[in-house]
Amino acid sequence: MAIRYSWMSPRLALIPAMVITAVAFVGAIGWTIYISFTKSRRFPNYDIYWENFWRQYKRLFNDPNWETSINNLIFMTIGSALAILFGFILAVLVNKEKTGEGVFRTIYLYPLAVSFIVAGIVWRWMFNPVLGIENFLIELGFENASFNWLAHKDTAMWGVIIAIVWHGMGFYLALMLAGLKSINDEIWNAAKLDGISPWKFYTEIVIPMLKFTFLTCAILLSLGVVKTYDIVLAMTGGGPGTSSWTPAYFVVNAYATRGNMGYASSAAFMMLLITFAIFLPLVLLTRWQTKRKEREAV
Amino acid sequence: MANIDISEREFKQYPKKKKKIKGSSIITFIFLAMIALAVLVPLYVIIVTSFKTLDQITLGRIFDLPTTWTFEGWNKAWSEVCSGMTCNGVKAGFFTSIKILIPSIAISVGLASITGYALALWKIKWAGSFLFVLFICAFVPFQVIMIPLVLITAKLGIYGTFWAVAIVHGVLSMPFLTLIFRNFYKDIPPELINAALMDSGSFWRIFGEIVLPMSGNIIIVVLILVITGVWNDFLIGLTFGGFGAQPMTVILANTVITGTGAVRYNVDMAAALLTALPPLIVYFALGKFFVQGISAGAIKG
Repeated sequence: MAIRYSWMSPRLALIPAMVITAVAFVGAIGWTIYISFTKSRRFPNYDIYWENFWRQYKRLFNDPNWETSINNLIFMTIGSALAILFGFILAVLVNKEKTGEGVFRTIYLYPLAVSFIVAGIVWRWMFNPVLGIENFLIELGFENASFNWLAHKDTAMWGVIIAIVWHGMGFYLALMLAGLKSINDEIWNAAKLDGISPWKFYTEIVIPMLKFTFLTCAILLSLGVVKTYDIVLAMTGGGPGTSSWTPAYFVVNAYATRGNMGYASSAAFMMLLITFAIFLPLVLLTRWQTKRKEREAV
Repeated sequence: MANIDISEREFKQYPKKKKKIKGSSIITFIFLAMIALAVLVPLYVIIVTSFKTLDQITLGRIFDLPTTWTFEGWNKAWSEVCSGMTCNGVKAGFFTSIKILIPSIAISVGLASITGYALALWKIKWAGSFLFVLFICAFVPFQVIMIPLVLITAKLGIYGTFWAVAIVHGVLSMPFLTLIFRNFYKDIPPELINAALMDSGSFWRIFGEIVLPMSGNIIIVVLILVITGVWNDFLIGLTFGGFGAQPMTVILANTVITGTGAVRYNVDMAAALLTALPPLIVYFALGKFFVQGISAGAIKG
């Protein structure tokens, strides 16, 4: 009796999670892909548009706003990579200089506890041309100081990137710090005894050892960037014009503002494909790592 | 543990000359402190602006301390600012956020801990494949499943209520939180579970009597993730709350970003600070677990 009971229970306990996975994830993704091939506009319409099957995708790829969104995505990914770089440098210094490690980590990481909406509002306030940092710089004597980045098409994304780097730097620092701590003490001591220069030590020994951490950071960063919506809304509202749109912003706009489910779904499906393209290396690498570990164990 | 750490550190420093360490480490320390100050600038700006009078703000010195400290901005932000047609301040959003948070916590933690426990400790052949599916689900962008979820909640008749927002939070966080719980539970020694099984312990009794009492730390980590995640969310609240259940972030965005009329920066900053305060308090009170949570989740996930 007891055995049969415990055979059933774990399976019963898994039913909610399986239903959620099947409906809210697998089913919903399938629904979104399906809807992108139908004539749906404001309301779902389940007739597939056979005559013009790729209609929404053709529209999407000819939409200058989508092009802007993709360009911004690439630009943001490269720009926010600074957060990983700063995170790594700070982690190395914090790890070397043990005094105050806890305090520094706490300060560097606090932005992560602040929502993107609040972060965006604060940064927009600091970018204010009349009352913000620009005015402060001018009063300091930098007459030509220009910090009104959000008002110009060419610089708006830079403003967003600064806020993203501020928000995320501590997160990468925490990951890098965990990575640095996992390096064996003997390696540090051996390097010290050998008298290797710190630069060589970090570039030739530490960074290669942390390549998995770096890759994790890079993937998490790009996945985060794909979802960027709140901070853009709070800082620029997508503007000036449509110059700071992102794929996530595009989807919400197509659905909520333009009221076109089919169009929003096609863009959402593209977001999913982008995510998987980023995601694939992580999966393959994890597989490869576990296999290598198994081989080493044998 | 603490003892070992100290002795190792002393050992490491032993062969080095003491003077050299001090010089370079002072420079490092100053550099780190400067970066820390730079990171604190937005927090400083938001705090001082919220206490300034509007007259002082229009003078344009963003980094100055308030000449007269006033709670006017805070009062207006809490109970007077307008979001759309109603002017009840961010207070209304605060209580909605609490109403969303409590069922979210119950759903997320309950669902994820039980699922993680079943997958980690019970022999289920397809557990590995299911975990892989969950792993992929954890990374699906919300926008991809947003529209069908809106239709489902509308069909269930809960769209526009705090229940819809709470349930969607619970559903969306399930894959990731399950992975965290599962990673934690899989390290419980199997002898313990086997012994409990011999005692004719059932699935639920082992969970309640052995596994749950061991999960204090991981539950705190997950609680922090859920509280900050739900409180800081904007898009789910906006999409599923309708007009009836707008969380604090949505009210804040309505007031500050799309608000009309004269801009009162002190009120805006006070509203933003009020919204940011609960997760910040959680973070500063339980920072250690916060770090654990994000790094454990990210590395193992």
